[in-house]
Amino acid sequence: MSDGTRLARRPFAFAPSPAGRAEAMRGRSLSLDRWFTPLAVLPTFVVMIGIFGLPLLFSLYLSFTGWAPGRDLLGGEFVGLANYEDLLADPVFLGSLGITFGYTAAAVAAQLALGLAIALLLNVDLPHMRAFRTALVLPMMVTPIVGALCWKLLLDPSHGVINHWIGERIVWLGQPGTALAAVWVVNVWHSTPYVALILLAGLRSLPSEPGEAAAIDGASRWQMFRHVTLPLLRPYLLVALLLRTIFEFRAFDNIYAMTGGGPANSTMVLSMFTYLTTFVRFDFSLGAAASWLMLLMAMLICLFFIAVIRRRDAH
Amino acid sequence: MAIVTGSRRMRRVEAVLVYLALAALTAAFLFPLVWILGLSLKSRPQIFASPPLYLWWPTLEHYLDVLGRSDFLRAFLNTLIVSTSAVLLSLAVGLPAAYAFARFPFRGRSFLFFSLLVMRMLPPIAVLVPMYVLLNQVGLTTTHLSVVLAYTTFSLPLVVWIMRGFFEDLPRELEECAWIDGATRLVTFWRVVLPLARPGMVAAGILCLQLAWNDFLFAAVLTNNATQTLPVLMAGFSGGDSGVDWGAMTASGMLVILPVIIFSFAAQKHLVAGLSSGAVKG
Repeated sequence: MSDGTRLARRPFAFAPSPAGRAEAMRGRSLSLDRWFTPLAVLPTFVVMIGIFGLPLLFSLYLSFTGWAPGRDLLGGEFVGLANYEDLLADPVFLGSLGITFGYTAAAVAAQLALGLAIALLLNVDLPHMRAFRTALVLPMMVTPIVGALCWKLLLDPSHGVINHWIGERIVWLGQPGTALAAVWVVNVWHSTPYVALILLAGLRSLPSEPGEAAAIDGASRWQMFRHVTLPLLRPYLLVALLLRTIFEFRAFDNIYAMTGGGPANSTMVLSMFTYLTTFVRFDFSLGAAASWLMLLMAMLICLFFIAVIRRRDAH
Repeated sequence: MAIVTGSRRMRRVEAVLVYLALAALTAAFLFPLVWILGLSLKSRPQIFASPPLYLWWPTLEHYLDVLGRSDFLRAFLNTLIVSTSAVLLSLAVGLPAAYAFARFPFRGRSFLFFSLLVMRMLPPIAVLVPMYVLLNQVGLTTTHLSVVLAYTTFSLPLVVWIMRGFFEDLPRELEECAWIDGATRLVTFWRVVLPLARPGMVAAGILCLQLAWNDFLFAAVLTNNATQTLPVLMAGFSGGDSGVDWGAMTASGMLVILPVIIFSFAAQKHLVAGLSSGAVKG
């Protein structure tokens, strides 16, 4: 390339007309804009694949091998479905399946019933409702493990205030029947405010016309609740139901703090079982298999949840 | 006329019943916290007094004791470091993605978005098992970084989910003006959108901070005595053969939950949107 052509082009490149400059900038910005969306979304998915996707794939691999600490990362020998077979033959694991589902159902049912009652009460148009709402949501802000440890003191057999009021020395957390009930009470205490807040937001957003129409038609209070409020509240009830199901399914903190899965495995939920298998007995392969079974079950609940939300968004 | 007075009386009776029910529920829900607060303000003999004391001269001895303990202060600092780092990392990575999800249609958008929701919903123990092995392999367990990465598994999806909602609610006109003036999408995002979304960023940040502050499971596995967080330290108070130190436990418990309660009230307006992962707007 000769100097002459370079000089000849330079004025064109450096001093375009104002209109040309705007055009050039627009062209450049449009070509940059084409990359904006992919570049904006990419980091999130790189991070999520790195800290979520790859570990889960690795755990799937672990679940098909006999891996033990001290080996190379990919050094376990392939054992096929042996870990899964071991789990399904383990009475403690099978028991924990039953306990997890029973505990989840009982906890969510109680949270929904009590949460709905609280939301309906807080929705009544009276002075000072904000104060009640503030006081009632306090438990859900408490760090779960701290809440559970506090309850453990209240339930203490010899110095706990609850036994003092009852006048008996009940070892609440030392007997299978009462231990599960105690853990359930703590859960309901901690998580009912979530449900109440979701349902209260729902009640506040309901249109007033259907209720007014029903009142003009002479509907009773119960009829209004049963045939107007409840059907309108259905989407909120569904969201609360599914979210709480997903979060109770993974229950861990309060059980770890209060019973550690005992006594006699009576509070052994799936998270607790997986934790003990992996980090106390150091059987990483069996733990990986148990956590993959948990994942599959949680994913089924999630897909159901997403289907419900999407159907609502479509309306 | 009779009907009106009758219904007015009915209404007053009803108001009293509503208040009574709410008062009973509030008493039941607050009792554990109030009682523990009370225990934390009693001296050792008072804690174990039988029958329990209902009136006493409060003492701050357990609080002073706990605040003077080096392990408590270190755990407090650790918790602060890992939870704020996780929140800042999640905001830095997640904000552009949330904006792209809110504004620009692209192929696979809804699939990617819902896959983030699914990640938020999966049980944390399932990620923790392989994460521990992998982090151990590269020598990162017991470091702050390992806990930050673990917390990002839940805070990043939450940031994207909440901030998408905020970005969608912003008026489009300002961005369109900037585009017409020749600003690129990146410049528009940085100069126009982010300043407008500041309240949303604060709310999302507080919600993530609260989740990270309250986490026990990840920190219990991924930390040691030097890097443990407050919830892990708390769990240690009740274990062991030495028995429970009631004074230290109740006082430190109150100190642990105090910041969370302050955060939560600061973000109360957005609490419902956050706790339902945006499925219901508060």
